[in-house]
Amino acid sequence: MSELLRVENLVKHFAVDQGVVASHLGKKVHAVDGVSFSVNKGETLGLVGESGCGKSTTGRCIIRLLEPSAGSITFDGTDVRSLRGKALQSFRRDVQFIFQDPYASLNPRMTIGEIVSEPMVVHRIGTPATRRTRAKELLDVVGLNPEHINRYPHEFSGGQRQRIGIARALALNPRLLICDEPVSALDVSIQAQVINLLDELQDRFELTYVFIAHDLSVVRHISDRVAVMYLGKIVEVGGWLGLYDQPHHPYTQSLLSAVPVPDPDKQRSRERIILEGDVPSPIDPPTGCRFHTRCPIAQDICTATEPELREVADGHEAACHFAKPFPITAEAPAAVAGEGAVAG
Amino acid sequence: MALLEVTGLRTQFFTRDGVVKAVDGVSFELEQGKTLAIVGESGSGKSVTALSLMRLIQEPQGRVVEGGVNLGGQDVLKMSDTAIRAMRGNRIAMIFQDPMTSLNPVFRVGYQIGEALRVHKGMNRKRAFDRAVEMLDLVGIPNAAHRAKDYPHQFSGGMRQRAMIAMALACDPDILIADEPTTALDVTIQAQILELMVELQQREGTAIIMITHDLGVVADMANDVMVMYGGKQVEYGVADDVFYRPLHPYTWGLLDSLPRHDISAKGELCPIKGQPPSLIDIPSGCAFHPRCPYAKEICRTTVPALVEIEPGHSSACHFSGDPAFRRDQVACSADMEAN
Repeated sequence: MSELLRVENLVKHFAVDQGVVASHLGKKVHAVDGVSFSVNKGETLGLVGESGCGKSTTGRCIIRLLEPSAGSITFDGTDVRSLRGKALQSFRRDVQFIFQDPYASLNPRMTIGEIVSEPMVVHRIGTPATRRTRAKELLDVVGLNPEHINRYPHEFSGGQRQRIGIARALALNPRLLICDEPVSALDVSIQAQVINLLDELQDRFELTYVFIAHDLSVVRHISDRVAVMYLGKIVEVGGWLGLYDQPHHPYTQSLLSAVPVPDPDKQRSRERIILEGDVPSPIDPPTGCRFHTRCPIAQDICTATEPELREVADGHEAACHFAKPFPITAEAPAAVAGEGAVAG
Repeated sequence: MALLEVTGLRTQFFTRDGVVKAVDGVSFELEQGKTLAIVGESGSGKSVTALSLMRLIQEPQGRVVEGGVNLGGQDVLKMSDTAIRAMRGNRIAMIFQDPMTSLNPVFRVGYQIGEALRVHKGMNRKRAFDRAVEMLDLVGIPNAAHRAKDYPHQFSGGMRQRAMIAMALACDPDILIADEPTTALDVTIQAQILELMVELQQREGTAIIMITHDLGVVADMANDVMVMYGGKQVEYGVADDVFYRPLHPYTWGLLDSLPRHDISAKGELCPIKGQPPSLIDIPSGCAFHPRCPYAKEICRTTVPALVEIEPGHSSACHFSGDPAFRRDQVACSADMEAN
């Protein structure tokens, strides 16, 4: 399989402009701090993490909705960060974005036909008549009735609106789709419909996905490979099976153990790792390993030295000094567990 | 006798477009120290059920038109306004979904937690504040004496939800209603909050009504489960029965729609086709029939009653109880139809 997207050492800092002291000290929010990954053609890479871990910022940097502070992004051999003018436009045809909120991402004053054909208008493709035919075709592809082309977004439910957003993203025959929490605003039964639709479209149009979400079960279902982020860094990346069955990083382990399973017996007998405290502020991230303030197995080295991503199994990397394939036991780490509680 | 007995509760909203039958004949019981989970998708009537119990339905546009809510021998629906105010926040307390908007931004957290104590227990400011500090400490806020003087914006999302729990538990209520208490939180924080609720329940013997759409949370917390669809109860029973021997096709659909991370193979998702119904225009017969792969003629014409199929486990489906009516009858059809 050939590589379609490569992100290397991506950094995005936001300047803090609120508060007299903070802005004068030149404080920065370290939203993304040295993230590297690659995505192969036809593959789905899941980016998962809790709020504020930098997953959406990473997605936005890839399509240059945000200008990265440092690092390189290569799409199909071309350097995305140096693109200007025509070349940038053509890049944006190849890479499209699906947004989280199907209520806020559709213009309420446009009909869904106009919404779906807008990308073609922007990129001057076709005539009004051919664009309309194409819009109908796209609505059909995403499972909406093409006759509804003249309706407005408010006439549709959440799941149907998300389908409209997907149709719009497909309008220019993109090769890469960045999906930022595309199903988290939807009800369970509708969520499954949209996930199945994304799966089907991927096969049909040979699409490549970067799938950003906080729901670990959804990410596992749709992804070939998964990268787990914490405070602007990737802490673990690997194939979906290896990562979920044998998580090596204590953060991945605690994340997975925190998601309740819809099976009462299993849920009662599961060993859970409850993390103490909150995620530290990305304005002033902890030294060494960023997870050490909440980590149940942290040692002195974790405060001092930042662990690099290293291979722990075939195609499976983790950034932890003590990466181990089995879940940490509940008794051993109790001594350090209290530390994180001061956070917040 | 059960702590809380709800019988035939019907709540409606009268709008320009018609009557919204938000809750349409719901009955359940809650014992002391137990947890009942109400599960359903948006618009299934689960929150309105909770608000009806608290008499928080805004009149005149909304009204509990029928039913009884028996709380320790008293009918909540017939209580005077004064009696209701004495009950709310005192015997039944509620935690709302969004901890960001349910705290008042201009009062200190400790003052807000103490409010219930001043109103219901007649404490003075000083004593109420001291008790609020104890409560914050109980729900695991570090350095509580100091943090009680903070304003809500100085708290993180998880801490605000802890503060909400502290506020709800301040008067030692018999019943705690939690309306999607962890939906706005990250999973690691969700795990903290759920554990806290279980711990407090075991210590204080509080009964919990947990409203959620997350079947994982249900499996984690619930003794009993009530599944709602289109304002009606479709299945009701002990958690293990509902998860391991579900009776209603809607429950089957919900369970089959869930991606799982605890099973090695990637199962196929079988979504329920179509959309949930509008509560103004509920389909005739069984509300679920337009989406049900098993629907027959009778489902279009006759509303199925909630029938006890096995001891303590009931279902509102014409075919539940028929041994030939099984979940695997209709193969998963990846339905692309959006309508």
